[in-house]
Amino acid sequence: MKNNSNKITLIYVLILMFVAFVGHQFFLDYTKNTESTSLYLYIKDFIFILISGIILKFILLHNEKNNKSVFEKLQITNNEILESNERYDIVAKATSDTIWDWKIEDDSFLWNKGIQGVFGYKKEEVGKTSKWWFERIHPEDSLKMSVKLYSFLEQKTEKWQDEYRFQCADGSYKYVFDRGFLVKDKDGKPIRMIGAIQDVTKQKEEEQRLRLLETVITQTKDAVMITDIDTSQNVIPNIIFVNSAFTDMTGYTAEEVIGKSPIMFIGAKSDMLEFDKLKTAIQEYRECFVETVNYKKNGEEFWNNFSMIPVTDKDGEHSHWISIQRDVTEEKNKEKEREQLIRELTQNNKDLKQFSYITSHNLRAPLSNLTGLLNLVEDMDIEDPELKEIISGFTKSTHLLNETINDLVKVVIIKDNPSIHKEKVLIKEIFENVFNQLSFLIGLHKPILKIDLEEVSILNINKSYLESIFLNLLTNAIKYRSENRQLKVNISSKVEGDNLVLTFKDNGVGIDLVRNRDKIFGLYQRFHNHPDSKGLGLYLVKSQVEAMGGTINVESTVGKGTTFTIVFKNN
Amino acid sequence: MLEQIYCVDDDVITLMLCKKVIQRADFAKEILTATNGEEAILFFKELAKQPAPSYPSLTFLDLNMPIMNGWEFLDQYLKSGYNETFPGAKFIVLSSTIDPQDVEKTKNYPMVVDFLSKPITKEMIEELKEKAHNKE
Repeated sequence: MKNNSNKITLIYVLILMFVAFVGHQFFLDYTKNTESTSLYLYIKDFIFILISGIILKFILLHNEKNNKSVFEKLQITNNEILESNERYDIVAKATSDTIWDWKIEDDSFLWNKGIQGVFGYKKEEVGKTSKWWFERIHPEDSLKMSVKLYSFLEQKTEKWQDEYRFQCADGSYKYVFDRGFLVKDKDGKPIRMIGAIQDVTKQKEEEQRLRLLETVITQTKDAVMITDIDTSQNVIPNIIFVNSAFTDMTGYTAEEVIGKSPIMFIGAKSDMLEFDKLKTAIQEYRECFVETVNYKKNGEEFWNNFSMIPVTDKDGEHSHWISIQRDVTEEKNKEKEREQLIRELTQNNKDLKQFSYITSHNLRAPLSNLTGLLNLVEDMDIEDPELKEIISGFTKSTHLLNETINDLVKVVIIKDNPSIHKEKVLIKEIFENVFNQLSFLIGLHKPILKIDLEEVSILNINKSYLESIFLNLLTNAIKYRSENRQLKVNISSKVEGDNLVLTFKDNGVGIDLVRNRDKIFGLYQRFHNHPDSKGLGLYLVKSQVEAMGGTINVESTVGKGTTFTIVFKNN
Repeated sequence: MLEQIYCVDDDVITLMLCKKVIQRADFAKEILTATNGEEAILFFKELAKQPAPSYPSLTFLDLNMPIMNGWEFLDQYLKSGYNETFPGAKFIVLSSTIDPQDVEKTKNYPMVVDFLSKPITKEMIEELKEKAHNKE
């Protein structure tokens, strides 16, 4: 700079001197001045020139100084502006705010880079008017939003901030939080509005998720209680939240229980062992499930089934206890009734069993005497024919009574003895035994017996039961044969999968199953007017089959015959 | 033929029946009776006092009796050591019980050799005779 002003001054002096010299030469020709006057003029001119040069130099120097200070000031201001711009950009970036600037009078609208970064618009896509902004607000939000905005512009409200959905470049919407400030002119008329848009989509979604989760607590039928973890006052920490189901269950409103310990629900009939269990669990930060009597606000007792589960905050620190509770009084009462019923039934059953043993014993004792005495009489000669007849009737009746009682005794033993002795049994052998026992009857009636036992011969079963079953069924077949035709009995056994199926088929008188299906295996049920019929055989058969884990079914047609099917598991 | 048989039962008709059946079968020379367990225990107690007593080699014992029943008698008999005192004395439970557990229970008493259902019959005695004969 200094050099510059010096250069300008030097050039100025040299040019003036040259002009003065040329001027003098020119005027010399016309004025015919003497050399002395011209020298004088030269000197005078040069002196003036030098003086003006010096003055110029001073002026230039002064100006230069002035300019320099102005320039420096400008530079400082410029730097400040740059810095402030930079700061503004950084802040906008840091807060991820999108800034907009709306000059209201000429409706020019400017966006910062956020509109590209946050919402995905390309620079050239971004509109330059407020219309572009409005068009991108979700239709459901735009009316509510513009009402608020215009009332702000008319300065009816102090502040403007709003939440709405703003459309992104890809057509999707983001939840935004927008805050705006007005710039006014001297007359207080708004001329400019500047706003900052914050993307709150994540918060909004989280909020909606939390609200949904909250409905679980508020809407559920289970009572929910949350406590803190401070056990310094009470062994069970104080309540900080209860839902409405809790109020429905206990009668206490939230205000009445918050800040108090759940100990308040315990009363005289509460289970103290359960309470201790809960106390220990709380000391050890373990989850706990408890069932105990609690008391409602009106003093009524109820069975409460509840859990206490420790929850931790996001740092893994134990922060609260969550308790889910349910009134199980009804279930509990039912359970009690059931238990009572089972106790009574067990006792009854025991009594009955005892009773049946005693009665059968007391019946058998005199009966065995009768039998014994009759045995003695048998060996004696009786002359009197009438007495002989009487004694014979006496003997028959005694034997019938004895048979009945023995059958009943068998039933009692079967019913009482579920774990019977089982052994490998050869079915063929059992049949041979049965035929031997019935040889008299078989010889008398000469039935056609078709026996088909080829496939299976061994069965893991109680031998005497199976014998009794065969004996009963075969005796029945003979007893209830048809008088019109020769008796035919088909007996077969075969393996079907895991099962062994035994079939007894006869062509006897049959049973009217339409009338008697329910009764056929019942105790003391008789279907024919037969003198030997006691109504015990099929009951005994069914009892024995079932005692060995099998099933028995019957098919029968009156006048055609009867088929019994017995199924045993063959393992 | 046995020298002595002892019948213990509270039912006099049963005792009568026993006597008659045993007599007819010529099973024993002498038949002694008692009507409950206590009586029977006292009987053995008296015998035990004698230096070399003759004692019944077989006793028919009922289970259901007043005062002292068959089980209590058997327990007392073992407890008093009569099983050693009378090594040749065997017992047969003669009962009208149907409780299967009773049959099992008799197996705990070494002197009980059999469990028979009432009434006592000629056939039973014949079988016992045969067994005794086989042993000899």
